[in-house]
Amino acid sequence: MLSGHALDALRISLQISLCSTAIVVPPGVLIGLLLARLDFPGKGLVETIVSLPLVLPPTAVGYVLLSLFAVRGPLGSGTLGFDLDLLFTWKGAVVAASVMSLPLVSRTARVAFEGIDRRLEGLARTLGYGPVRTFVSVTVPLARRGLLAAMVLGFSRALGEFGATVIVAGNIPGRTQTLALAIFSDIQAGRGEDARALLVLTTLLAFAGIYATERLVRGSARSRAPERTP
Amino acid sequence: MIPGLRVDVRLPLHRFDLAAAFTMRAGRLGLFGPSGSGKTTILEVIAGLRRRVSGRVEFGGEVWLDAQRGIDRPARERGVGYVPQDGLLFPHWDVRGNIRAGKVRASRGAKVDPDRVVEVLDLSRLLGRRVETLSGGERQRVSLARALCSGPSLLLLDEPLGSVEKPLRGRILHYLLRVLEEFRIPALYVSHDATEVTILCKEVAVLREGRIVAGGRPADLFLGAPPLGDLEGPEHVNVLEGTITEAAAGRAVAAISGGSSLVLADAPEAALGARVLVGLRADDILLAVADTPGLSARNVIPGTIRRMHDLPGGWLVLVEVAADQPPVAVRVTEAARVAPGLKEGMHLRLIAKARSCRLLAVR
Repeated sequence: MLSGHALDALRISLQISLCSTAIVVPPGVLIGLLLARLDFPGKGLVETIVSLPLVLPPTAVGYVLLSLFAVRGPLGSGTLGFDLDLLFTWKGAVVAASVMSLPLVSRTARVAFEGIDRRLEGLARTLGYGPVRTFVSVTVPLARRGLLAAMVLGFSRALGEFGATVIVAGNIPGRTQTLALAIFSDIQAGRGEDARALLVLTTLLAFAGIYATERLVRGSARSRAPERTP
Repeated sequence: MIPGLRVDVRLPLHRFDLAAAFTMRAGRLGLFGPSGSGKTTILEVIAGLRRRVSGRVEFGGEVWLDAQRGIDRPARERGVGYVPQDGLLFPHWDVRGNIRAGKVRASRGAKVDPDRVVEVLDLSRLLGRRVETLSGGERQRVSLARALCSGPSLLLLDEPLGSVEKPLRGRILHYLLRVLEEFRIPALYVSHDATEVTILCKEVAVLREGRIVAGGRPADLFLGAPPLGDLEGPEHVNVLEGTITEAAAGRAVAAISGGSSLVLADAPEAALGARVLVGLRADDILLAVADTPGLSARNVIPGTIRRMHDLPGGWLVLVEVAADQPPVAVRVTEAARVAPGLKEGMHLRLIAKARSCRLLAVR
């Protein structure tokens, strides 16, 4: 039932979203941790800059990235001396999706860290835990539901990304055309049948994703037995 | 020799400045004071969990904090066993996981056998339980076990009975006594309950608004002049130590030194030969200067008035019943003092109902 270009769009969407999630989660969690735990001069500025892509129209962010990676831009081949090969490639779409989802990941991670009873970390230290061990065995497990939610939000944002992606990576079927872009193209071209098929596909994907993560988050909170060995 | 603890610290707090100096020599110090007087903060300072503290903390000859010389040993190197008021168990581990959390440090030179800790605290049936299913008393026992298993050189106990339902306090008290006596680890015990401090501690430091205002042995301090009546409230409880000589059908008889014995109406946990602590409220004792035949009360103990303190609304009469027991405090009204002509040095009898003698703890 699915046409070749629908399957291509599905594959490209998943590829971009997964790569973007993998790239954005470590720095996003780190930024969330720093914002939750540290007070430093200019903290408000950092918070604002990180959250900017959340507020700006995605096309504006896309335009900033396009200017950045253009041949004569600060990160273009003319300036760097080599080509990052990001414009109109799926890698460019990954960069666009990552920039767009970073604020969601870092904000959600920050809330997750802020929700932890810090006395538990202090208590771990009195038991002889060093900073790394405290983070790995106490902080992260206690924040795991929020961190999982941050990951899911980041993935979802990347999957639905449209504005920034279309400007940086274009809308090239079989190469950079994601599900979101393919639906747009099909509607523009009056291929209602194809658009509806893609709609069903994205809905199924979204449903499966949300259902699985809900199960995962609840499972880690309730039904699963706690880990035994610290 | 018992390692001593010397504390002399200052820390600005929200409502007042903490400026507390005290020394623990006998290995079991009670930090006594009303809630909000800075007791928990002092424990956190000693554990190394507070920043920007000035002053000194020294334990067993090791300097843990010396703000002037820039010494501030991290919490993980101090080797304290901290038991917070709410137990503060790790919610993502079960009971066994929480107890094992203490082994991280203990693996380097363990002094405490975790199996023995589980046995002493009676935890073997709880090991697989999730921490949120535990009662207040169970949480405290697990928290204590976790601290003990880390092989601490000093225990910091923050109101271990605070979150425990009143009827169960005797049981936890019993576990605490067992732990302190078996493992012989110096302990700082925070409490606002004079009875607990009398039972568990050899010395007391009294804290009020961040400052140490008095110190000494519990019996001297709580029965001294002026007594700390405003801190402990109207309910002064005398603590007498005895040995069970009879026990049947929930009723028990405890022999106390000086040749007297006390009948306990409700003491099902008392076993023959057990050493027990019996509590007797100062308000529940009658004084008789002559023989009183036909009494329904079961306990009549001879004694001598040692001292009398003027209290607001009455008198606190301290009666010696045996040379090695702290004096028994009895509260009487002004009229009750004048009518029988009570004065120091007078011989008399203490009278108490069996129901007024409560079993506080079994050693």
